[in-house]
Amino acid sequence: MDKILTENEITIAKEILKNRFNQICVNQKYKEKKFKIPIHLALGHEAIAVSVNNIMKESDSLILSHRNIAYNLARLGVLKPILDEYLLENNGLMNGKLGSMNLINLDHGIVYTSSILGNNFSVAVGVSLSQEIKKSNGITIVLGGDGSIEEGSFHESLLMLKTLNLSTLVIIENNEWSMSTKISERRHPINLQKFCEAYDIKYAKLEGNNVFEYIKILESLKNDCLDSKSPICIEVMVTTLGDWIMKTPEQPNGKFINYHAGPSPNIDLSQGLSPIRNTDEDPLYVLEKICNNFNLDEIKNEILSEKEEGL
Amino acid sequence: MKYIELVNNLLKQEVNKYEELVLFGQNISAGSCLGGLTRNLKVKESSKVINSTNSENSLCGFGFGLLIGGVNSILFMKQLDFLLLGIDHLVNTFNIIRNMDEIKSKASFTIMPIIVDNGYQGPQSSLNNLSDFCSIARIPGFTITNNLDAKRIISSELVKPGFRIICPSQRLFHEEIHEEKIDFVNNDNTIFQYRTGSNVTIVCFNLSFSYGAELSNRLKKEGISSSLFSVNSPISSDWGKIIEDLKITKQLVVFEDSKSVNTNVDTLLNHISKFCELNKKIVVKREINKDWLNPTSDIIEIKYNEIINKLS
Repeated sequence: MDKILTENEITIAKEILKNRFNQICVNQKYKEKKFKIPIHLALGHEAIAVSVNNIMKESDSLILSHRNIAYNLARLGVLKPILDEYLLENNGLMNGKLGSMNLINLDHGIVYTSSILGNNFSVAVGVSLSQEIKKSNGITIVLGGDGSIEEGSFHESLLMLKTLNLSTLVIIENNEWSMSTKISERRHPINLQKFCEAYDIKYAKLEGNNVFEYIKILESLKNDCLDSKSPICIEVMVTTLGDWIMKTPEQPNGKFINYHAGPSPNIDLSQGLSPIRNTDEDPLYVLEKICNNFNLDEIKNEILSEKEEGL
Repeated sequence: MKYIELVNNLLKQEVNKYEELVLFGQNISAGSCLGGLTRNLKVKESSKVINSTNSENSLCGFGFGLLIGGVNSILFMKQLDFLLLGIDHLVNTFNIIRNMDEIKSKASFTIMPIIVDNGYQGPQSSLNNLSDFCSIARIPGFTITNNLDAKRIISSELVKPGFRIICPSQRLFHEEIHEEKIDFVNNDNTIFQYRTGSNVTIVCFNLSFSYGAELSNRLKKEGISSSLFSVNSPISSDWGKIIEDLKITKQLVVFEDSKSVNTNVDTLLNHISKFCELNKKIVVKREINKDWLNPTSDIIEIKYNEIINKLS
């Protein structure tokens, strides 16, 4: 049966679609060689990014990694200041001083973003303690990828968070790839749940890209985190979309390239707001499946007609 | 008074002034409290003293996180070489913070590692290379060598918006503190002048002040008056006062006691070559011989008489 979206759910659905559309716009500019800086698109990460945005209160702090575009777009809600930042314009979100991989937005709670794997976890520990000292009643949310949990600082920071009884959500986006290598090709698997058990830290896993479910679960985990004064580690399965087959003299039949950074040749504005992949790996597909396209077309048209000036 | 007593007393006075100050580090409130450096540090109720985990890299990130959150903090470390594990934060995290005025002005983060410069540590644990840490990301850094620079640096630089490294010397811990009078100190507390003379200019880098002061005393006995400077920061470039002095004395003796190749001595000498001519230039640095990684004394044997004989 078709899901009838509530007003709040329509807003959330719109956030997902807008996040996707804005990333496609950035990809288009990228293909037109408009940027001097590297950008890591996060097509496929929209459900978790929009969910995190929806559970954040003004007193909360968000700490991101190099692949932060979906979160920055979700927090700000518009593309233009972010695009101007990518173009290193003075009127960019941070006056063209940070570019993409370190983009923060203090007005919207994004207090630190690091392009160095694992670097941001310990900074989150400090931010979290500062919230406690300042009695802000806020929570710190820190994002990392599956590659970052290989760093010693991940272990150190979980230990510090637990030792200091700090309310922090540690969210690990697991896309199972590290640049152009699949995890299974490179290292022994890490059982993050058991890893957390070793520190007596609660672990939760999100998969399936259902934004409405994600928000409910994250709200509950956030309250749990604040009540228990303990960190919670959340592993989110994501697929970074935008892959392509690259033909080279060495690989005349083409080689699969999982998207890491730069423009994705397979993504185009002409595809509008259709899912990139018709599986649960794509949050748009999941959204359409939930709503059975009941009232998404209207939202899509609204987004396309609202295309921001200057894009 | 011993050097360590003075530094500890100054720290006690300073840390008790501030609300919402976090002191942290391994064993800072246990055992010897880092050889007495952090003994009995009392803080206000809104502040914290954290006897931390052994996570040097993350401890550095933690301090920067507190700064971002608007909370002042000081990380104490037993040895400078522990800080090698935090280099990522000293460079990458600090570079973000210093690039954003609205963040860097929010709070203070100071790292105070002890430079283990007394020797006998062996191939590890005897790093005496503050200038390399400071140089890698142009980090403000300070050494503490006597009563006056200790007072000045701890009262002015320990808790102040931004980030810096302040290093006491383990070699001096149980020495009587050098009592000096200041003739001049520059605005950023990086260059101190203690004596003014007309025959020789002595400039001490890193933690070598005691060597320079001893030379100055011996020169005085020989009827030779000397100016005595200490450059307490590896990234200072405020050479005006030293150049002015050299234009009068035209004789320079430099002491540098670190193990670094990358020191500010060369910057000073380069600057001098542009602005004044010298009749005599003597540079005393640590001799790096085949035994330098063995457990031997790190105290430099200064041939004072040879130096004095070369000066007129």
